[in-house]
Amino acid sequence: MLVPAKNSPKERDSALLVAISTGDRRALEELYLSYHRRLARFLSRFTSRYENVEEIINDTFMVVWQSAKDFRNASQVSTWIIGIAYRTALKSFRRQKNHTGALSLDDYPEQTVDPTGDTEVSDWLKHGLSRLPVEQRLTLELAYHMGHSLEEIAAITDCPVGTVKARMFHAREKLRQYLPTLSGAPSDLSARIG
Amino acid sequence: MTHDRRIENSAEHHEVSELLPWYVNETLAERDRQRVDAHVGVCASCREDLAAQRRICQAIDAQPAVDYMPVASLKKLQARLDAQAESGGSLAPPKEQAANRLPWRGWMAASIAAMAVAVALLAADRWAQVEARRTQPNYRTVTSSAPRPQGEVIRAVFSPTITLVELQTILDEAQLRIVSGPTEAGVYSLASNSTLTVRASLALLRQHSTVRFAEGTSPEPASGNSP
Repeated sequence: MLVPAKNSPKERDSALLVAISTGDRRALEELYLSYHRRLARFLSRFTSRYENVEEIINDTFMVVWQSAKDFRNASQVSTWIIGIAYRTALKSFRRQKNHTGALSLDDYPEQTVDPTGDTEVSDWLKHGLSRLPVEQRLTLELAYHMGHSLEEIAAITDCPVGTVKARMFHAREKLRQYLPTLSGAPSDLSARIG
Repeated sequence: MTHDRRIENSAEHHEVSELLPWYVNETLAERDRQRVDAHVGVCASCREDLAAQRRICQAIDAQPAVDYMPVASLKKLQARLDAQAESGGSLAPPKEQAANRLPWRGWMAASIAAMAVAVALLAADRWAQVEARRTQPNYRTVTSSAPRPQGEVIRAVFSPTITLVELQTILDEAQLRIVSGPTEAGVYSLASNSTLTVRASLALLRQHSTVRFAEGTSPEPASGNSP
């Protein structure tokens, strides 16, 4: 399946999905390779284990292969695929009770961390994010890294807009408690991040 | 109550505060964006929060992506699809595969039924042997021949690797049924299920490579043209 290069990513995705719905394996492979990087980054918020990330991505594309015919353009292809990955990952996450990210910030109400000394901001933030409930952590990732709108996140996570707002609100509040410098006083941190 | 406190307690403040992350990632509709602009202009708390959210967004976005190996993962997906296509008999996506699975399920059901029939036949045969032993003397003279199962017309030996399903298919085709066996030597006694001649049944049996031996147990009736 060769999609003309002049097409936008959205048009290209739609054309590939149409081809997949007719049983075109090459179109599936093209779509897979174009989504692998962003899905891997997104899913690494669930788990740091590569084999789990890989398994969830492949499970996602098995569903894409099987359900391409049912896609009705009610949303963007990207929203649809990320939504499948989100639900697949949640199922996987709930199966693995010993997941390292399963702890919530509520388990550590008194702890706060600031980036001092040689602590890298990214490691420090990663540690803070890992203390959030998975739904809140992913809402932050969907908005702040993947750039999805409120409505798109509601579609991806299959929940009302109000729920997305509430998850984001709680995530912000918990980060404010856990990472006071990053979430509150600017101090010299913005310079370090910038 | 101060002016700032009144603003922070207003419904507008709470609603705008909830929208700040999407103001930061620039996905708000124009009307909501203007609403946030207007409120942030008069609310110090939201200005602080907005600055904090921008720092968090920047920090999250700046986190290095883990570089996985897409081609290696893709090969695993391809292997799964190949396996699915082989079991479903089609490369087509699921709905078609679902349809293709139906005959496969039917074949499975037929296989199970055939196995059940074979097991029942073997059990019946075993029971018949026990009954025969009970009613017959447990010795044989040198001049007497081994008792033949009732209705036996053919004795056959099949390949040891033959499955029950394959065996039943061959017997159905030759219109035969098992009346006894297998013996320790692997010999089955077969009876006719129809008016098909023994010669015809033998010919049908012998065309299969899994039939190692097949012979009639009584001489074929003489042909009408024979003198």
